[in-house]
Amino acid sequence: MNRNARPVQIVMIEDDEGHARLIEKNIRRAGVSNEILPFANGTEALAFLLGPDGSGEVSSGRQLLILLDLNLPDMTGIDILEKLKLNQHTKRSPVVVLTTTDDAREIQRCYDLGANVYITKPVNYENFANAIRQLGLFFAVMQVPEAD
Amino acid sequence: MPLSKIALIRTTAAAFIVGLAALLAIVATTVWLVGETQTYTELSIQVRQQRAALVDLRSLMQDAETGQRGYMLTGDEDYLAPYDEATGRIATRVVDIRRMLAGDPDRGRPFDQLAELVAAKVAEMQQTVALYRAGRRDEALAMVRTGRGRELMDEARDLFDQLIDATEQRIYTHVSDQQKTITALFWTTLLGALVIVVVVAGAAWAIVAYTRQLVTAQREVEVLNAGLEERVAERTAELGRANEEIQRFAYIVTHDLRAPLVNIMGFTSELETSLATIRDYMETVEGGDDVATADAKVAAVEDAPEAIGFIRSSTRKMDGLINAILKLSREGRRTLKPEPIDLRQLLETAVANVQHQVAEAGGEVTIEGVAPPMVSDRLALEQIFGNLLDNAVKYRHPVRPLEITLRTRQEPAQRVVVEVSDNGRGIAPQDHERVFDLFRRSGAQDQPGEGIGLAHVRAMVRNLGGEITLVSALDEGTTMRIVLPRNLRKLIGAENREPKRQAGPDRDDRGR
Repeated sequence: MNRNARPVQIVMIEDDEGHARLIEKNIRRAGVSNEILPFANGTEALAFLLGPDGSGEVSSGRQLLILLDLNLPDMTGIDILEKLKLNQHTKRSPVVVLTTTDDAREIQRCYDLGANVYITKPVNYENFANAIRQLGLFFAVMQVPEAD
Repeated sequence: MPLSKIALIRTTAAAFIVGLAALLAIVATTVWLVGETQTYTELSIQVRQQRAALVDLRSLMQDAETGQRGYMLTGDEDYLAPYDEATGRIATRVVDIRRMLAGDPDRGRPFDQLAELVAAKVAEMQQTVALYRAGRRDEALAMVRTGRGRELMDEARDLFDQLIDATEQRIYTHVSDQQKTITALFWTTLLGALVIVVVVAGAAWAIVAYTRQLVTAQREVEVLNAGLEERVAERTAELGRANEEIQRFAYIVTHDLRAPLVNIMGFTSELETSLATIRDYMETVEGGDDVATADAKVAAVEDAPEAIGFIRSSTRKMDGLINAILKLSREGRRTLKPEPIDLRQLLETAVANVQHQVAEAGGEVTIEGVAPPMVSDRLALEQIFGNLLDNAVKYRHPVRPLEITLRTRQEPAQRVVVEVSDNGRGIAPQDHERVFDLFRRSGAQDQPGEGIGLAHVRAMVRNLGGEITLVSALDEGTTMRIVLPRNLRKLIGAENREPKRQAGPDRDDRGR
């Protein structure tokens, strides 16, 4: 991951604390040391990403990579995805959907809304860990644009 | 007034009989009365003839008398012409009348009397004329003067009047009788017609009433029918919703169970990693006789790894079960794609896929019967027959060589039957239903598997609108009988009228 003046922050929106911890551990194992900001619900995550006014100006100048679970207690990840991709400031921030759902229509819908990557959480832990580690490796080489 | 079918038949039948009776009565009465009229007419004609003959005879008598008197007054022979003519015809007339009155003594006897008078009068006239002609004029006049001729004539006239009156009386009687008959005919016809009209009106009323009832009943039936169809549609929709609910439930449960399971497995892994570190460390510690150190060593090297091993195997098993349920719920949610299918070819392909194992077991597979063209979901059919053939191979008899027979045939009501028979180890009767249940297996558990194959097959067959049953005897073999609709499109078309929602996790209602 580019280590420019402003470091890339990984925003992890995941309501299952265990999953969040496992994701974090496995990303770290891939050698990614960027700050990971965990959010357990959509409201808090949106407040951070778009600011209390919802304008998204707060994200201006940030380099964000968003890990998004679709099943959240207060809203669906799709709502968050839609808001982010429609917002002037956050639309270029990469969004990785990481969820248990493998419904074909769900996947289509996420890509239609501008998701950059869609990953189904493997059921088996070994595969899960492996997938997250590979994702971490992928993060290490990908370019994250600065938000306007 | 409610009118039953039997009542209608009775009413109309009774009306028909009464109407027919009335008509027959009219006809009979008419025929009888016409006969009567004819008789009266004949009698009238006879009596009129008698009367005419009597009148004629009387005028002949008068002609003869007039002729006699004229001749005796003038002596002119010319006056004798009507006299001669009249006396000539009187005799024949008398014979005529007597013939007419033959068999009628009431009038016959007075006429005999009259005939005598006529004969006497004629004789008196002949005598006087004969005397006059012979020149014995005074004798002839003296004979006239005796008045006997006139007396005879008066008596004859009286009798004539009586007889003519009598005939007139008879004519009058006949005419009035005839009139009575005509009146009777009139009333009979009128009454009969009235009866027929009443009966026809009654029958018509009954029929109209019954028809009206039928129409009302039909309308009611239509209303009920519409209601019934509505209810059936409602129930179908309800069933569809219930089914959807179950599938959603299965889907959500499996998804939500999977999330903590990933945690359990994940942290078990983490624990194992940590434990490895501890174990490595413990092995370096030469604890001497310290009990606590020895216990810690045992815990780190034996107990904890054992516990983790059980956690792992259990979570793996749980994972397998959850995946099985997920697979079933996915099958239920999969959108079916009906397409024309060559069943024979599909079965041949399915057989080819297991050919290797069959050959290894030294067995053979035969396909029999006609495979009617059908429209169904190819993937589901492939999975169904693949599964059944797998089972046949898996649960073959340990001793005899495997024989599998696939039989296809068409059945009424647009259905296709496929039977998959094997000579394998068979299924005990108490397990015939159980084998279709999820996670349930039958017989010796000597083959790998989770007990989801047949449950999955049944779910798919039912999804295709079919049904699967089995016939099996332990140690002899099993026949799986699958009945499928020939055209899946019709079935789906029927369901689509009630738009079928997919049972997947819709984003907004996951209720967590």
